[in-house]
This record gives sequence, structure tokens and C-alpha cells, in this order.
Amino acid sequence: MAESAVVEQNDKERRYPPGDLAIWIFILAELSVFAVFFAAYAFTRLNHVELFNEYQQHLDRRSALINTLALITSSYFVVRAVAAIKADNAKGCIRWLLAAIGMGFVFLVVKSMEYAHHFSLGVNLSTNTFYMFYLSLTFFHFMHVMMGMIILAAVAFKAKQGAYSATEHTGVETGASYWHMVDLVWLILFPLVYVMR
Amino acid sequence: MKYKSQKVARLYFIAALVLFVAQILFGLIMGLQYVMGDFLFPYMPFNVARMVHTNALIVWLLMAFMGAAYYLVPEEAETELAMPWLATLMFWIFFLAAGATVAGYLLLSYSDLAKLTMNDMLPTMGREFLEQPTITKLGIVVVALAFLLNIGLTILKGRKTVINLVLLMGLTGLAVFFLFSFYNPTNVVLDKYYWWWVVHLWVEGVWELILGAILAFVLIKTTGVDREVIEKWLYIIIAMTLITGIIGTGHHYYWIGTPEYWQWWGSIFSAMEPIPFFMMTVFAFNMVNKRRRNHPNKAAMLWALGTAVMAFLGAGVWGFLHTLAPVNYYTHGSQITAAHGHMAFYGAYVMISLTIISYAMPMLMGRTAANSNRSQVREMWGFWLMTISIVFITLFLTGAGVLQAFLQRMGENPTPFMVVQDKIALFYWLREITGVVFLIGLIVYLSSFFVGRNEPEPEVAVAE
Amino acid sequence: MEKQQKFGLRPCTWVYLVLVGLTFVTFFIGQMGLSGLKVALAVLFIALLKGQLVGDFFMGLRRVKGLWRWPVFIWLFIPGTLITTAFYLAARAST
Ligand code: HEM
Ligand code: HEM
Ligand SMILES: [Fe+2]
Repeated sequence: MAESAVVEQNDKERRYPPGDLAIWIFILAELSVFAVFFAAYAFTRLNHVELFNEYQQHLDRRSALINTLALITSSYFVVRAVAAIKADNAKGCIRWLLAAIGMGFVFLVVKSMEYAHHFSLGVNLSTNTFYMFYLSLTFFHFMHVMMGMIILAAVAFKAKQGAYSATEHTGVETGASYWHMVDLVWLILFPLVYVMR
Repeated sequence: MKYKSQKVARLYFIAALVLFVAQILFGLIMGLQYVMGDFLFPYMPFNVARMVHTNALIVWLLMAFMGAAYYLVPEEAETELAMPWLATLMFWIFFLAAGATVAGYLLLSYSDLAKLTMNDMLPTMGREFLEQPTITKLGIVVVALAFLLNIGLTILKGRKTVINLVLLMGLTGLAVFFLFSFYNPTNVVLDKYYWWWVVHLWVEGVWELILGAILAFVLIKTTGVDREVIEKWLYIIIAMTLITGIIGTGHHYYWIGTPEYWQWWGSIFSAMEPIPFFMMTVFAFNMVNKRRRNHPNKAAMLWALGTAVMAFLGAGVWGFLHTLAPVNYYTHGSQITAAHGHMAFYGAYVMISLTIISYAMPMLMGRTAANSNRSQVREMWGFWLMTISIVFITLFLTGAGVLQAFLQRMGENPTPFMVVQDKIALFYWLREITGVVFLIGLIVYLSSFFVGRNEPEPEVAVAE
Repeated sequence: MEKQQKFGLRPCTWVYLVLVGLTFVTFFIGQMGLSGLKVALAVLFIALLKGQLVGDFFMGLRRVKGLWRWPVFIWLFIPGTLITTAFYLAARAST
């Protein structure tokens, strides 16, 4: 592929991560909120092992699998979007971004169906501690998926206006970094809440 | 000062400082009543003094915010204020309403005031911080609407900067959440639930946007750092403020009859609330280190850095101290709360008000950029006296609070409330003495406006 | 300059495939209903590994030198340690 040669040349060692440093400070702050949430889950489970193990079985692991794949795939698409713009291929960049946003939609739909199922059974935040964590954690993450999709859409929109090129594409990398963060969080959330027992 | 209409800010600033004095005097009265229960009996009950102390605080901060907006919005938008006359008119309405309300508190019993102002038609009185008669609240809404209209139109017709937009967002939020002060459900849980929408979502939500915007404005002016850099910081700070602060309201929903999950939500999200305050500290010092010019107004710079540090200590550190549900279980409503309330209000909102006053007042008084050296040195004495006093007030109250929680709420045989109060009276005395030092600091600060008026500005690199 | 393609695929594509594979492993462990401390920690380890891959290859941190090389690693390490501790204590309490 013609793009890749340019890509790797651009990627010399650097002191700062890709994208605007500001987004990284934000990412760190967001990650710490999730870290606290994860630790709270694990330590609360300590006092309710049976309860957690029982209700974990009521979750739909298949949906979670689809969603994990959706997020990983969309993250991959975003990587390709960055690679495309580094090769000065704005059209390709937009296409990859739209594909990534599409995967985001898949995530939202599947997750909403899961919620619909739980709500139809009358499950809510006060049902028990496990569901409190399950709903809070996943919903907080759900909001981040939406936020990430808005950011990606904004980046795609600007790309369409020709704002990015092989030399100036910080904006794309900024959006990409945020989106990878959304993926990263889910990669821990999925096993922790759905699988580990 | 570039635009004539900015001058209206001066009225707001002066009135704010007058009310500041009133606030502190009543704080001292209460402080004495804590240790000498019959002080001023029967003329000045504790609850009345408390009302004046806290309401004067809120109103003077609002005045300072409005003054700040009238000063900085035209400058940022690069245009005259849309309706300067409206700003002046609203000032007098606001000031007279505030005066009448305080007079009402002092001259009438609270229940007579309620009757006189026909509280039963739309009952809103009787809740902490929102004690104002309904008619005063309506007045505040009118003033706020006229103010937002004025500021909004100015921004619309001029340059749209991030600072202006963030400030406008904060001020609009301030007005919107104030509307919940009219909602007074009979169910006590709901009552408290929405009361916090005013109190908490103000100081840990929209006011932080105002704080961030004013701080960014003063830093741009005094350091000459690129607007772009400062704006980026502002974005992150507000995003983080809103993410943590909104759900962080939960730290007030632990024990009031709301569902249990608030103990988790409140603990986790509010535990993150210090982050935006910490970012503000890093931001301010970063900008000052990267400064491209040395502004002659050293005092304003000191206030700006002071705000960044003290807001983090008062809100961030002292807030965190008691924000986790298992800790709050013991400290709820104790002197720890008061310690935090004092340092946070002073460190964040009093200090940011004094920052913008310090920056703008010289220009509003007709100077080029700064007060004379003598005046600035005096002002900085005021800064240190007041700031160190508040630190000690906080420490004494924290001491009192720790003992209080320990004796009254822990152990096999908890000690009764009044017995504990006697045991910690020493701390109350120390608080009162420190309060006097605070008042002295305030007087020194105010006197700085009157010294060295005819002396030249200190010579540093060129100002704008 | 690094060689960018291996067997005709770019590094990020390889990483993607590995991530998908590991996800299936986690899923099947769940489907088989396996439980116990060792299994849980293995699942956790896989998750941390995936996180590190995302950080290194997708977020591009492997090319960063100095302080900013580490945020994702540290982020994985701290909750990872805490979760391990909590699960360890839970397993010990139940036996
Ligand atoms: C500048 C910002 C802040 C101001 C002005 C402020 C002010 C106050 C005040 C006046 C109260 C007492 C309310 C009452 O019960 O009458 C209060 C309570 C409280 N604040 Fe803040 N606060 C700020 C930020 C924070 C932050 C960032 C946190 C958490 C990290 C926090 C945690 C708390 C908690 C937990 C209480 C309840 C105490 C209790 O249970 O009695 N505050 N705050
Ligand atoms: C600028 C400085 C000050 C600020 C921002 C301030 C702010 C406040 C606030 C927000 C409250 C309500 C606290 C709560 O509900 O927990 C309060 C109460 C109080 N303040 Fe101040 N204050 C200041 C100075 C002082 C001084 C100098 C004194 C006296 C030495 C004082 C004495 C008191 C007392 C006695 C209370 C009542 C606490 C209670 O209800 O038990 N304050 N102040
Ligand atoms: Fe609060």
C-alpha cells in the first residue's frame, strides 16, 4: 500500500503522545475516574462475593462480546484514519472515521438492547449492589462512547472541509486518542464485570 | 480600560466591598456568640447574624461577578456594552433591594418579615443561604435577566472569545439554577434534594466556570501568554468540572433519604472534584512562569496565584477530606463542614473577586495599568493578613470538628452535643481572635485604595 | 526506519487480530463458566495485555520517549493491582 511508507517515516520517536497534549491531560483525568470505579467494584465485591457471582450470570455475555469487537474494530478503523491522513489521503481518512462511528452505533444499539432487557425485568440502581455497579459503570462508559462519537464526527466534518493534511493533522490524532481511551476502558470493564468471578 | 462603558463595573465593585465588610462584622458577632451565648441578647439572635453573614457573602460575590462581567466582556468582545444605562439601573435596584433585605433581617423578626413580604403566596423563605423574602428573590431574577441580556447582546455584537463564552455559560447556569430556589416541595427529602441544585451546582459547577473565565482573563492580561494556550486549559478545566461536579452533587445525598446508590456515585465523582481545581493551580503557575511581560500590577498577580492555591486547598483538599461517604458519616454537619466552607468560599470566590477588582480597579480609577507601589504593598499586606487568617480559622475549625466527631459520634459512650461544645470552646476562642486579625487585614486592604493615589505607577516593562 | 509490513499486514492490523483473538479467549472462559482465583487473574492479565497493546500500538505510545511513554501502563498497573488484591482477598475469605 502506498500510504504506509509515508506513515512510518512520520512516526519518529517523540516526547509527547500523538494529538494535542490537552486531550491527554483530559484522558488521564477521565481514566482516573474509571480506575476508582473499577477498584470500588472489586473491593465491594469482596463483601458480596456470592451476590456478584450470582447476578453476573444474568448478564448477556454475547452482547458484551459483540460490543468488545465493535469497539476494538472501531479503534482499528481510527488507527487507519490517522494513517490515511498522514498519507495525505483525506478521503480515506473520512471513510475510516465514518466506519469507526458506525461501529460506535453498533455498540450503542447493542448496549441499549441489553438495558431494555434489564429494565423490562424491573432491574434498577436500587435492585442490588451488583446491578448498581453494573448499570453505573456501563452507563458512564456509554456516555463516553457517545462523547467519543461526537468528537469523531467533528473531526470527520473538519476533514471534509479540508482542514487536515499530511503535515497538519493534530486534530485527527486528538480525536483518535480520545476514542482509543473509550476502547481501552471497555477492555477492562468487559472482563471485570462480565467474566471475572 | 478601553471602553467607556466598562466603568459601570466600579459601582458593583465598591458595593461588593461594602457588603464584604458587613459580612465579616456579622461573622465576628456570631463567633463571639459561640463562646458568649448571650452576647447582644436579645437584639441580635444567632440565626439572624448567620443569615446576614451568609447572604451578604452571596450577594457581594454576585455583585463582584457582575462587575467582573461588565468589565471584561466589553474588553474581550472589543465593543462597548450593549446597554450601559441598564447596567447602572440594575445596580441601584440590586443594591437597594439588598439593603432593604438586610434591614428587614435586622429590624423585623423573620416571621414578621415573611408576613410583610407575603411569603405565603409563594413560600420560598427559611432555607439556608436562600432566606431572602420571595420578593427579593424575584428582584434577583429580574436583575439577572437584565444582566444576561446586556452581556449576551454585547457578546453577540462583538468578538466571540472562549473566555466570554465560558463566562456567559457560567452566568447563565447561575441564573438557571437559582430558579430552583422557588421550588419548595413539602416533602423534606425533595426539598433538600433540589436545594442542593442551587447550592452545590453553584459552587461546584457553574461558578467554577466563572472562576475559570475570570482567572484566564487576568492571566492573559498580566502574563501576555498566547490566548490559544490559555483557552485550551479552560476547555479541559470546564469539562472536568462538569463531569465531576454534576454527579458529585451526590455527596450531599448520603443521609437525606435518597437512594443508596448516591453513596457510591457521590463518593466516586466528588472524589474527583479536586482535579479541576488542581488543574487551575497548575494552569496559573504555568502561565506565570511562561509570561512574556512583567505587568506593573504585582498585586493582581499575587491575588491570581493566591486564588489558584487557596481554591485547591479549600475546595480540593478540605472538600476531599470529608467527601467519601464513610468519612462523611462522622463529619456531616460538624465544624469540619464549616472549616471547609470558609476556606473554599474564601479561596475560590472571595479571592477571584478580589483578583479582578485588584486588576481592574486601577484602570477604573483612571490610572494606566496599576496602583502606586505604596498602594500595592499595602494591598499585599491585606492579602497576606486575610489569607493567613482564613488558613488559621480553617485549621482551628478543623481541630474543633475532629474533636467533635470523635467525642460526639464515635466510641461506645458518645458525649452529648453541649458537653462537647464546652470542651472545644478553646478552638472557638482562637477562631474569634483570628477573625479579628481577618478584619484588620480587611481594613488594611481597603485602606490601600486610599494611599499613594498621586504617586506614579511602578516602572516595569510596558503595559498594554 | 522500522519495517512496516509483516506477511503483508501492517503492525496495527496484526495487533487488531491479536486483540480479537484474546477477546474470544476471554469470552469462552466466560461461556465455560470457569471460576476461581487463577482463572479470574488469567482473564485480568489478558485484559491488561490488551490494554497495553492498545496503548502502545493504537494510541502510539510505543514511539514516545520519557514520561509520556507510561500513562497507559500505569493506569493498567494500579487498578490491575487493586483488582488482583481484591479478588485474592475474596478467594481467601471464601476458603
Ligand atoms: C469552591 C468550591 C466550594 C465551595 C465554595 C464549597 C462550599 C461548601 C459549603 C458552604 C458547604 C456547607 C453547606 C451546608 O451544609 O450548609 C459545603 C459542604 C460540603 N462540601 Fe463543599 N465547597 C466547594 C467545593 C467542594 C469540593 C470540591 C468538595 C469535594 C471534594 C466539597 C465537598 C463538600 C462536602 C462533602 C460537603 C458536605 C459536608 C457535610 O456533610 O456537612 N466541596 N461546601
Ligand atoms: C471572607 C471570609 C469568610 C467567608 C467566605 C465566610 C463564609 C461563611 C460560610 C459559607 C458560612 C456557612 C458555613 C456552613 O454552613 O457550614 C459561614 C458561617 C459562619 N462564619 Fe463565616 N465566613 C468568613 C469569615 C468569617 C469570619 C472572619 C468569622 C468570625 C470569626 C466567621 C464566622 C462564622 C460563623 C460563626 C459561622 C456560623 C457557623 C455555624 O452556623 O455554626 N466567618 N461563613
Ligand atoms: Fe457539594
